[in-house]
Amino acid sequence: MFNQRVVKREGHQGDQAVVPEVVRRSRYPCRLTMYGDAPDVEVSIEEFETFALDRLQVLRAIEDAQLRAKGEDDMRKRISEALEKHMPSHTNRSKLLPRQLVGERRKDHVSHFILRLAFSRTEELRGWFLRYECALLKHRFQNADLAEKQELLSSAQLRLAHLSPADRDAKLGSASGFYAAQEQLFEVDFERVLDLVGRSQVVLRAGRAFVPQSEVAALLIHEFRHSLTQALAVCAKALPQMGEDERLLPLLQNLSNQTARSEYQSTGAAGAVTAESVPGLSDSFPLCMQHLHSQLARDRHLRHGGRMQLGLFLKGIGLGLQDALVFWRRAFSAMTDDQFQKGYAYNIRHNYGMEGKRADYTPYSCHRVIMSNPPGPGDHHGCPFRHFSAERLRAALHKDSLPDAEVREVADLAQAGHYQVACTRHLELRLHHRRQQTQQQPDADIRLSAVTSPNQYFDLCLGCTKPTHASATDTTTAAAILSGAPKSTTAIY
Amino acid sequence: MADDEKMQVDGDDGIDEISPMTLGHYYQRLFPHALYYKWLNYNGKLATTEFTHREFSFTIKDGIYLRYQSFKDSDELQRELQRLSPSKIDIGAIFTAPPKHAKSLQPGVFKPVSKELVFDIDMTDYDEIRTCCQGGAICAKCWRFMTVAMHVLDRALREDFGFTQIMWAYSGRRGVHCWVCDERARKLDDAGRKAVAGYLSLVRGGAEQGKKVNLTQRSAHHPHIVRSLEIVEEYFEDVLL
Repeated sequence: MFNQRVVKREGHQGDQAVVPEVVRRSRYPCRLTMYGDAPDVEVSIEEFETFALDRLQVLRAIEDAQLRAKGEDDMRKRISEALEKHMPSHTNRSKLLPRQLVGERRKDHVSHFILRLAFSRTEELRGWFLRYECALLKHRFQNADLAEKQELLSSAQLRLAHLSPADRDAKLGSASGFYAAQEQLFEVDFERVLDLVGRSQVVLRAGRAFVPQSEVAALLIHEFRHSLTQALAVCAKALPQMGEDERLLPLLQNLSNQTARSEYQSTGAAGAVTAESVPGLSDSFPLCMQHLHSQLARDRHLRHGGRMQLGLFLKGIGLGLQDALVFWRRAFSAMTDDQFQKGYAYNIRHNYGMEGKRADYTPYSCHRVIMSNPPGPGDHHGCPFRHFSAERLRAALHKDSLPDAEVREVADLAQAGHYQVACTRHLELRLHHRRQQTQQQPDADIRLSAVTSPNQYFDLCLGCTKPTHASATDTTTAAAILSGAPKSTTAIY
Repeated sequence: MADDEKMQVDGDDGIDEISPMTLGHYYQRLFPHALYYKWLNYNGKLATTEFTHREFSFTIKDGIYLRYQSFKDSDELQRELQRLSPSKIDIGAIFTAPPKHAKSLQPGVFKPVSKELVFDIDMTDYDEIRTCCQGGAICAKCWRFMTVAMHVLDRALREDFGFTQIMWAYSGRRGVHCWVCDERARKLDDAGRKAVAGYLSLVRGGAEQGKKVNLTQRSAHHPHIVRSLEIVEEYFEDVLL
């Protein structure tokens, strides 16, 4: 459609500050936007689909980068590459033709709104979209030039009050030393920078937070997240009304199905696992669940966080309600029947959707285990790769009799913050050793795509341990391995 | 209570054994009905939605737990308390409609609107560092950890967050509850509460985290930490040495 060749404009050599008049008067004078207004342009069906798919590729690349990137620079590089490939956007000072610039921005603008519609359907999809749109804006803001940052900040209407040096002293006193002396500070209500407050990155006085210039991005992203959350809720309500347009609904459905990160559909049919068989299966549990299971045996008790994490996991692998009640009753061997019935049985039934609002709770994903509800004193839930100290993690890894070099490899990954990659690597190594012991394809390396939920880990582990045929519930990764791949590494994504 | 007198404040199951007759007397004669209502109603004598849309939960005999209780005025609450004589009252959130009618409403209509910001400090949180008692037992010695905690928290809530309507209460067993009732606190959503908790947290990590207090160069100079250290220093010698 557009001529994608970059065309040199004459007569503007060395003049960095001139914005082409055409661009300035167009619908898209600025490169960066907070997507406040919906597009009122016409888009062809092909564009509708292409734009949306390209943007989706970018968001998925960000998700992937967050899992795998080794440090901030690597992260920035990965996201920039994805943008360059699928949704390039040049600054006003670039040598692009005005209509090319406008075209890029139109695509950015329109694609955001298409995906907004597509991802408003469920709470989980909304959460996914929100997370990666915020990450995208953060990346673009941080890598923009000063002029672009100013433009975006003023258009966002953040209502920031500069703090004069006199005010700074008066309001903060000695606390002013928490910030660099020359750093500009803004005073805002603490609710607008919750992320910074939670991490004690700002001084608070009487409910006001003092935000340094360097953290203004945090404010911006917070505002963006807030308004996008509301916008998504509005979209969700509007979706049913779109039923009449037969061209668009299938496209939107298809888009939201592209994220394979939806809740892992566990292969455990209820009843497949009995209370007695749980200890035997624990060998195929991920480290987090093995830990909870062994602590449960040791203490004859688990606190709430642990009961939820392990309980829902067991439900996911196929432990039915009646067996769950038996399992936990036996595990809590130090208490009376009465204590168990009153204190714990209700909650177990609740988890299976038998009480209260009858929500059938799903097992936790890795993301949830890692990010939500950090363990406190006396807790054993969470992700060992994240929540164990380095020594404690190494000790746990050594239990599998893995060689030192491999333990170090996994521990290093965990230290670097790649918890899921570490867990996946751990699984790969365990399976490899199991293979060697049972003499199946001892030389083939195992490579798995990153584990995203403990139940998925369990299914993979169990699937790869079955010596002969693949069962009907095997995932494609396990099946591919078992089909007899040759000596080289089999990369599966 | 002498220093070495230990108090076992609950049975293993946490359910207090008080006779129904004693409870009956308590609600007839001792429970501060008027004050309780005045506190929860926030404004004036006539019941506002802040009272009528509030959820209460009662634990009555045999450990039965009743949710979605709500009352149209002070008299109704008093009558029900005297009739049911609960061993435990949980005060829930204020909703968009009287919780009693929750089940008859369209899904999505009945939602929480506001809730006080409540901190629950339990003596068992100190099990890893107190040497005199463990679990359900408390005594005058280890209770001093609670005193320090209360000072640290109270100062932070008032000076840093600007909250003024703060009520501290003994939780009945082995800890304290701190109720922050400012409107700004009541309106905080999940993210807001998580942020406040994060700001106030210093000890992070479960049983398998070796070193739980990690202060960088910078965080050690955060005014909240500096002030808290000063408070702790006042009590340090007395409590620990």
